[in-house]
Amino acid sequence: MDHSARLSADLDDVAGKVRPQVRDALAPSSGKPSRKARHRAGPQSRRPAWLQVVAALLWLPQAAAISYAIGGIAENGSLQDAFLPVAVVVVVGCLKVLLDAFAARLAFLDARAILSRKRADALQSLAARSPLDRSAPASGLAASVVAEQADMIVPYLSRFQPARLKSTVVPLVIVAAVLPFSWMAALVLFISGPLIPIFMALIGWRAQAASEKQLVRTGSLNAFLLDRLRGLATIRALGAVDRTAIRLAEEADSLRRRTMAVLRIAFLSSAVLELFAALGVALMAVYVGFHLLGHLDIGAWGGQLSLAEGLFILLLAPAFFEPLRELAAVWHDRAAGEAALKALDELAVKGSVLLGGGDAAATLAATRCPAPSVRVEAVSFTHAGRTEPTLQAISLAVAAGERVALLGPSGCGKSTLIALIAGLAAADSGRISIGGTELTAKTADRLRRGIAFVGQKPHIFAGSVAANIGLGRPGVDGVCRDKAMRTVSFEEIARHHGPSPLGENGVGLSGGEVLRLALARAAAGEDAGLVLADEPTAHLDRQTAAGIVDGLMALSQGRTLIVATHDPLLAARMDRIVDLSSLQKEAV
Amino acid sequence: MLRLTDLYPVLSLFLRVQRRGLLLGAVLAAATMLAGLALLGLSGWFVTATALAGLSAGSALAFDVFAPSAGIRFFAIARTAGRYGERLVTHDATLKILATLREKLFRGWSAPGAARDLVKRPARLLFRLTADIDALDSLYLRVLVPGLVAFCAALTAGIALAFLSVPLGLAVGLVLLVGGNAILFLAAGKALRPAGRRLIALEALRARTIDMVSGRTDLVMTGRLAAARAAAVHADERLGKAEDRLNRIETGTLAALGMLGACLTGGVLLAVAALAEAGAITAPVAAFGVLLTLAAVEPFAGLRRGALELGRSLLAARRIAPRLSADVEVPLSQQPAAGEALRFDGVTAAHAGAPHPVFRELSLAVERGECLAVIGASGSGKTTLLGLAAGEIPVRQGTVASLPSTLMTQRTELFEDTLRDNLKLADPDANDGRLWQALADAGLKNDIAALGGLDIVLGEGGLGLSGGQSRRLALARLFLRDTPLWLLDEPTDGLDGPTACDVLDRLAARAAEKTVVIATHLRREAAIADRIVHIDRGRIIEISRRGEAAFEMALQGLRPD
Repeated sequence: MDHSARLSADLDDVAGKVRPQVRDALAPSSGKPSRKARHRAGPQSRRPAWLQVVAALLWLPQAAAISYAIGGIAENGSLQDAFLPVAVVVVVGCLKVLLDAFAARLAFLDARAILSRKRADALQSLAARSPLDRSAPASGLAASVVAEQADMIVPYLSRFQPARLKSTVVPLVIVAAVLPFSWMAALVLFISGPLIPIFMALIGWRAQAASEKQLVRTGSLNAFLLDRLRGLATIRALGAVDRTAIRLAEEADSLRRRTMAVLRIAFLSSAVLELFAALGVALMAVYVGFHLLGHLDIGAWGGQLSLAEGLFILLLAPAFFEPLRELAAVWHDRAAGEAALKALDELAVKGSVLLGGGDAAATLAATRCPAPSVRVEAVSFTHAGRTEPTLQAISLAVAAGERVALLGPSGCGKSTLIALIAGLAAADSGRISIGGTELTAKTADRLRRGIAFVGQKPHIFAGSVAANIGLGRPGVDGVCRDKAMRTVSFEEIARHHGPSPLGENGVGLSGGEVLRLALARAAAGEDAGLVLADEPTAHLDRQTAAGIVDGLMALSQGRTLIVATHDPLLAARMDRIVDLSSLQKEAV
Repeated sequence: MLRLTDLYPVLSLFLRVQRRGLLLGAVLAAATMLAGLALLGLSGWFVTATALAGLSAGSALAFDVFAPSAGIRFFAIARTAGRYGERLVTHDATLKILATLREKLFRGWSAPGAARDLVKRPARLLFRLTADIDALDSLYLRVLVPGLVAFCAALTAGIALAFLSVPLGLAVGLVLLVGGNAILFLAAGKALRPAGRRLIALEALRARTIDMVSGRTDLVMTGRLAAARAAAVHADERLGKAEDRLNRIETGTLAALGMLGACLTGGVLLAVAALAEAGAITAPVAAFGVLLTLAAVEPFAGLRRGALELGRSLLAARRIAPRLSADVEVPLSQQPAAGEALRFDGVTAAHAGAPHPVFRELSLAVERGECLAVIGASGSGKTTLLGLAAGEIPVRQGTVASLPSTLMTQRTELFEDTLRDNLKLADPDANDGRLWQALADAGLKNDIAALGGLDIVLGEGGLGLSGGQSRRLALARLFLRDTPLWLLDEPTDGLDGPTACDVLDRLAARAAEKTVVIATHLRREAAIADRIVHIDRGRIIEISRRGEAAFEMALQGLRPD
C-alpha cells in the first residue's frame, strides 16, 4: 500500500505536464475548476494503467513455462512432462491478453471523456468571440483544430499513462525476477535500463518542439485549402488555378519537410530503444551461452545456471525492454497530443467577447417590447490591434419609434457603431442603453431578443431557405416565416429555391437575394422593437432596393430603426439623417 | 459496396510517383522483421546448444561460439538500423505522394463543373478532400507494408519449421496466414459501418464548427448561438460513440490475435516436445522453433490498425479516383470574328438541375473596344450572361465565341494571405510598383498605406477591410490582369458616390484599349457604356446606343447616386 502510494505520487509528478491542461479542460468556462472535476482524470485513469502492468507481468509465468518445457526436452523428458507448461502458456497467455484488452478499454473511455470536455470548452470560447475581433481564429483553422487535430488527444491520454507506469514497474519486477538466478544478468539489465529513459527524454523533448511547429502548419494548410476552395470562382476568373495549385504543392511539400524533421527525431528516439533492446537481448544470449559452456562462471551466485534458468533469463530480456519501447512510441503520441491540447487551449482563449451568451432560450420570454429609445453616450471603440480609434466619444440619441440613418464614407465606423449597439462587442468606454436598460453582458441576451439585425455580410447556413430564415428559433413557425417573407417580398425567391439546401455561403443566391433573406430572417423575430441594419441596399438594383426600403419601412413600422447606409434614397426615407463623420469631429 | 479493386487507380499513382521509395520501404520492413525473427530464434538455439555442449568439458571447448554470437550481434544491429531506415523511407515516400495528391486533386476540383459542385459545400468537401488524402496515408503505412511483413513472417516461420517437420511447418504457416487473416478481415468488415459513422460525425463536427464561427453574428442576433454550439457538441457525442465502437473492435482484434498467438505457441511447444521425444529433433532446434513462433505472431498485431482503416481507405480511394483521372478540360473557347470581342449565337443555357433555361436562343455581338452595359432586374440573367462569356457556365445549345477574358465576380473573394499575394493572384510577376499603381487606380492606395502596406494579412473573407475597400481591392486585381476582355459584375456596388465616380473614371481610362461588359443596376456604371442591353427574364428586350433617346431612357430607369 505504502509502495503504491509513493508510486502514485511519482506519477503525479510525471503527469504534471498533462494535468494543468486536463484541469483546464474540466474547468467550467467561468470560475475556478471544481475539485471533483480535477480529480476525475487522476485516480480513474490510473486504474487501467495498473491493470496493464499486471497483464504485462503475466509474461513471467509464461516464460517460465516455456523455459521449463524446453529444459525438459533437453533432459529427454517425455511428452507428458510438457502438458502442464503448455497449459500454463495457453491459459495464462489468454488471461494476459484479455486483461490487457479490458484495461485498454477503460483507458480509452477515460481519455475520450476528457476530449469531449475539452472540445466543448473550445466551442464555448469560439462562440463567445466577438465578430469584431480580428484575432479570432478563422473558421477553417478552428474546425481543423477542433475536429482532426484534437483526434490526437485520445491516443496520447489513453496510452501515455499506462506506458509510463509500465516502464517504471515492469522492468523493476523483471530485474527482481532475474536476480535470484544471476546477479550478473540482473546487473546488465539494471545498468542499461535507466540509461534509456534519459536518452528518450532528451530526444522526446526535441520531438515535441518540432512537432508543435509542424502541427501549426497542418492547421493553416487546411485553412489555406478551405479559403482557396471558397474563392475558387475568383481564382478561376483570375486564371490563377495553376499558380494556386503550385503554391498548394509547395505548402504541402514544406509540411512534408517539417513532418520528416519531427519524425527523424521521433524515430531516432525509438531507434535508440531498439538498439538497446536488441543489444540487451544479444548480450544476454551471449552471456548465458558462455556461462552455460562454462567459459564464464561468475554471476550465478557461485552456482551454475540450468538450461531452463538460462532460457528464462533470455526470454525476460526482451520483456524488460518492451515497456520502454512502448513508451518511446508514446513519446511521439505525447508530442502530438500535447501540441493538440495546446492548440485546443488556444482556441479556448477568451479574447474580446460578445456581450451575453447568445442564448435566447435562457432568457425570459419577452413580450413584444414597444419601440425602445436608443441612447449612445460618449462611446469609444478601437479595434484590437489598431492604434487609431474607430469611434471616439460618439453620442447619439434615438427616440422611441424614430427611424435614423447613419451616413458617412466607408470605413468611418458606421458598421462598428451598429455592432456595438447590437452588443457584438463591448465599447471601450461610454454607455449604450436601449429602452432605458443599459447594455451589459447581463442584459445583452434579453435586449437582443428585442433587436432585429440585418448585417452587411449575412451568413447563409447549410440548409433550406426556410431553415435559414427560422434558424431553429422556437416560435418561428411556417405562418411566421410566410409573414416575414411577405413583409420583405421574399416569397418568389423562396418558391424558386424550394426545400432544397442552399449552397454554403449563399452560392446560388444573388447578392440581393442574400440580403432579402437576411431581412426575412430579421422580420421573423417578431419580438423585436428595434431594427438595426448595416447597408441593406448596398448590393441591390434600384427596383429591388426600393422594394427593400419598403420592406425595411414595413418591418420597422411601430419600431425604432437605425440603419447605416450611404444610399441617399434610403437615407431620405428616414426621419433623421446623422452624419457620423461630423459627429466624430464634434466629439474631438 | 466497397471492393479492393477500388484501390487500383490510387495504387498505380503511388507506384508512378514513388516506385523506388515504396519498394525500398517494403523491402527494409521485411528485412527488419526477418532480422528480429532470426535474433530470437538464433538466441534460443545458441543458449540451448551451449547448455548441452557445456555438459562435458570436451564438447564445450569444441563448440564454435564465435559464429553464432557474431550472428546474434549482427541481427541485433541489423534490426535497429533496418527499422530506422524503413520508417524514414516509408514515411517520406508517403508524404511525397500526399503532396502530389493534394495538388492533383486541387486541379481536379478546379474544373468548372467540379468547382461549382464543390462550392456548394466547401467545408464538407474540403474536409473530405483532406481527410481522404490523409486516409490514404494509412493505405501504404498501415496496410501494405505491415501486410507484406506479416505474410513474410508467416511464410518464414512456416518454411523454417518445415525443416523440423513438414506437417508442423505447414500447420504453423496455415494457422498464421488463415487465422491471422480471418481475424483481421473480420475486424475490417465490422469496422466499416462505425468507421463510416465516425466520418459523418467528424464532418458534421467540422461543418457545425465552421457554421458557428462564420455565422456567429447571425446566430447571436437570433439567440441561436447556444443552440449552434450545442449542435456541435452533439456531433462530438456521436463521434465519441463511433470511436468507442471502433476501439472495442480494435481491442477485440488485438485480444483475438493474442489468444491465437498463445495457442500457437502452446501448440508448437507440444509439437516440438513430441518430435524431440521421437528423436526427430534436438533440444536446441526445439528452442529455435518455439522462439521463432513467438516472434512470428507479433507482425499480425501490427496490421490491426490497417484492418480497421481499410474500409476508410477504400472509401477515400473510391472518392478520390475520379478526380485523379479527370483530365482538366480546357474549354476551347472559340475565337470570335475579327473586330469582335464576344459573340453569342442562339445560346440556350440553364443552371445545373434547373428545369427552365435562363436563356433561350440568345444572340449578341460585342465589338472590340466597345463598352457594353447589361441591365435588368435582379434575377433577369445578367450574371449568367457574364458566366457564359467567361466559359464558367456550359452552353446547352448554340455557340459562344470570346477573346480571353477576366471576370470580376459580384462577390469579392479575398484570401487569407498578405495583401501582396492577394493582388499577385492576378499577376504573379508584378513588382511592388505595379501593385501600388493598381491600388492607386482603384482608389485604395491611401487606405492601404494607412493600414500598413502590402504586407498586411487579410483575415478570413477579407475581415478588416470594409465592404467598399474589399471591392476596390477586387478592382485593383482586375487592373493587374492583361486580358483584352473585362467582364464586370456590378463593379462599384457598395462604394459611396464620390469614390465610385472616381473609380469609374479610372476604370474608363484603363479600359480604353479593352472591351468591357458591365452587368449593372447603377446609373453611374451604365453611363460609361457605348451601348446598353436591357434583358428581362432571359430575353433581350432593348439595345440602345449612346446618343439615342432610348439610351437616355434606359439610364433614367437605373438607380442614381
